[in-house]
Amino acid sequence: MSARVVKSPAARRSASRTWRKLIRAAAAYMALIAGGLAMMIPFLWMLTTSLKTRAEVFSSPPLSFPSGLHWENYSRMWFALPNVTFGTFFQNSIVIASLATLGQVITCSMAAYAFAVFDFRFKRVLFALILATLIIPFQIVLVPNFILYRYLPWPLSESGNWIGTNLPLWVWAFFGGAFGTFLLRQFFLTIPSELADAARVDGANPWQVFLRVYVPLAKPALATLAIFQFMWSWNDLLDPLIYLRDLPTYTTTVGLAFFQGQFVGKWPEMMAGALVSLLPMIILFVIAQKYFVRGITLSGLKG
Amino acid sequence: MTSPARLGGLAEPAGPRLGRARSGRSPRAREARWAWLFLAPTIIGLAVLSAGPILAALGISLTKWDMLTPPQVVGVDNYVALLGDDRFLKALRNTTFYTLVSVPLGLVLALGLATALNQQIRGIAWIRTAYFLPLVTSATAIALVWLWIYSPTGLLNSFLGIFGIAPQRWVADPTLAMPSIIAMSVWQGLPGNVIIFLAGLQGIPAEYYDAASVDGAGRRSRFRKITLPLLTPSIFFTGVLALIGAFQVFDQVYVMANPGKPGEATITLVYFIYEAAFRNFKMGYASAASWIMFLIVAVATILYFRTQNRWVHYQ
Repeated sequence: MSARVVKSPAARRSASRTWRKLIRAAAAYMALIAGGLAMMIPFLWMLTTSLKTRAEVFSSPPLSFPSGLHWENYSRMWFALPNVTFGTFFQNSIVIASLATLGQVITCSMAAYAFAVFDFRFKRVLFALILATLIIPFQIVLVPNFILYRYLPWPLSESGNWIGTNLPLWVWAFFGGAFGTFLLRQFFLTIPSELADAARVDGANPWQVFLRVYVPLAKPALATLAIFQFMWSWNDLLDPLIYLRDLPTYTTTVGLAFFQGQFVGKWPEMMAGALVSLLPMIILFVIAQKYFVRGITLSGLKG
Repeated sequence: MTSPARLGGLAEPAGPRLGRARSGRSPRAREARWAWLFLAPTIIGLAVLSAGPILAALGISLTKWDMLTPPQVVGVDNYVALLGDDRFLKALRNTTFYTLVSVPLGLVLALGLATALNQQIRGIAWIRTAYFLPLVTSATAIALVWLWIYSPTGLLNSFLGIFGIAPQRWVADPTLAMPSIIAMSVWQGLPGNVIIFLAGLQGIPAEYYDAASVDGAGRRSRFRKITLPLLTPSIFFTGVLALIGAFQVFDQVYVMANPGKPGEATITLVYFIYEAAFRNFKMGYASAASWIMFLIVAVATILYFRTQNRWVHYQ
């Protein structure tokens, strides 16, 4: 019995160590959760404000719950502009982001395949050149590209050229891109060449090897690129601001910035608009977090 | 997602030509032909949408051009005028300030946060999601929210009111405007940096820490002697991207300042270029400004790379 009560010094130390570990873990949890909540405050405030009445916003304490769920802020925001609903902006953003994503997935995977499997002259120079465009501030091409699009004819637009259409916002994506090419090349390099050899023995040409071996195996990497490009297009402000001229062609970001001018002081409506514009990205993130993390980890590039 | 039919459609026209190549040339030449075929869209894009325009911008910067009348060659006049333009110099100063404060601040905070999040505890994935969320949000919507946080009756003033601090005009006050924008940008930029650092932290072999513990190293010295040196490649890499990204700040400024026209206090280089080109239609002037920005970013990047040998440890 005495043997059980009188613990050896070592056992006592290990017991107190377990306690210390537990306390430390609890403290870590609390600190992490508190920090996480602090990071979320802007989102929580956006949500509560969007459900309050305008009077309530200025009278009640900032972080209080709304007196009721005033969803009418959302419908007021949705139908705020004459002839155009916020749904139109949504649709425009979806069309542009989808086309840009499609273009990038196709042409970047083709370029990445060429860099990963073929040997040809100027390969290194060309790859270095593409990587260099990653660190060049793209604003330097704003004016020349605007001029290019200004002189590209388009029969359907009011101006007769590409200005005022959504073409400048996605056609570029069908002509390759540094981020996607780099990301997918890294992935293609990990695919064992035996798989391609086997297909080649079966008489497949490089195009068929690409489609039947590389593309199916690279699905996770393709998904990563697709998610990133969709997010970049969805969140972009500068380009749509430059090229889109009429309200019915606006994307959610330009629409939101336009709202701001119309809605001065109407915070509930504005927060409702901001929240609705963020919602697709937030949902996508919660579903596909691992692809975001992988994309950043593999390439080091951010949103 | 990648529809094979569509991909196939793109390749079709090239088929016959390749057939001839197969019969006549060496395997190496054949391989090269395939490579160029796969690279065709990329090469066209590089020539027409990036490399070409960069040179074109240099040419345009030597002209006076409003896009209505033909351009007039004016030599380096635009550059000379820019160096005497107070608004441009202010934009340059603001952008430099933004970069010099937001980049180091963002890196230090991200490093601390990544260390805190690098724990194998239950539910860590959910906790991380909360921290990562700002990553996917548009700067436009976020700037609207922060505009509300910073408003005279907003969250920040109410919070500071608890401690008896008088309400501030965070966005309207010229001395507070830029720091306010920086605080928001740092918050939004945190997750991206944290994710890179987390990957770096998880790449450090556990044996290093075990060995150090055996030698009697405490938490702090383990962080200083092991974690920090082994993380320097990640820090270096994140730093260069943050540096280049910071010079391009636009969305936040566009939304946060008076709609459409930032005052002198918050105007940035990209806003200046946007305004010159697409508000005032001075294409030559805007191109000259963008070339100056390009050169500054290039020089800053080169200088940053020069420091590499002094503090980055590659394993």
